[in-house]
Amino acid sequence: MVITDGVVRPAPEPFGRDEPDFDTWLSQQLQFNEPHLDNDGFCERVMAQLPPVPAKRAERRATRYQYAAVVAASAIVCWQFPLEEVLTVMAEQSISLYSLVGIGILSSMVAMTGGILAARRG
Amino acid sequence: MDLNDEDLIKRVVDDGDQRAYAQLVRRYQSQLRFSLRQLCNGDQGLADDMAQEAFIKAYKALPAFRGDARFSTWLYRIAYNLVMSHKRKNAPDVDQEAVDRAQAQESVEEAQQLGMARDLNSAMGELSDAQRQAVHLCMQRGFSHEEAATIMKLPLGTVKSHVNRARAKLQTLLQAWREEVASG
Repeated sequence: MVITDGVVRPAPEPFGRDEPDFDTWLSQQLQFNEPHLDNDGFCERVMAQLPPVPAKRAERRATRYQYAAVVAASAIVCWQFPLEEVLTVMAEQSISLYSLVGIGILSSMVAMTGGILAARRG
Repeated sequence: MDLNDEDLIKRVVDDGDQRAYAQLVRRYQSQLRFSLRQLCNGDQGLADDMAQEAFIKAYKALPAFRGDARFSTWLYRIAYNLVMSHKRKNAPDVDQEAVDRAQAQESVEEAQQLGMARDLNSAMGELSDAQRQAVHLCMQRGFSHEEAATIMKLPLGTVKSHVNRARAKLQTLLQAWREEVASG
């Protein structure tokens, strides 16, 4: 049985079943005859129903930028800091290194506490 | 600039870039909707709803996409699962009006098509559902047998068997056309 012009007819002579190019020919015909479906608002309907970008992802990105800014600022401070001069002055004035470190830690803690409180209020 | 699927997926997952996903939707909407129309027996409304749901589901699951398979294979698998699940739940509820409308429209279009296209459609209609799907995925969409087996959730051997049987049937049904083409 064969189909030609929409009519089913008895099969003529057996025809090359083993033809290797049949798959190629069939693929071409199937693809050639496939219509392209216009978007016609389909994509927009899909996009309208997508959930918003998860907050976590945005937060992660913001945190990454903050870390980068802190590292950059620290690097600039370290680069510009006159360490040798400070040590010399400290030796001349007989200032204890321990008291200097203690003051530094205390002021850092005050700054951090202030930052945390400000962030919570915000 | 047209980025490949991997780059677009990376943008969606890493940067939450929804415009990148819109590109993926535009890239695959026609093929997927056409495939699902066949799977939904011509119910275009249902096919489009299923395609829409598949794209949304794929978006939500995208962070878990490991890239073992192609994005298209993964997307088709989601879509096929949705359609099969819908068919199981709504077996008696076929929207006959929608099918009739689609078929009426197809008839008008068919009248304008070449005889080859019409006969190819008829020949495809002679295949079983599974054979038709296997041929569609492997020969029309270009998926490998392995990918088609993944999408259809069938053993590889079964898919190969469907393709071989379908090929033999199509070869017989379309041999007059092939002779015509061969003879010029």
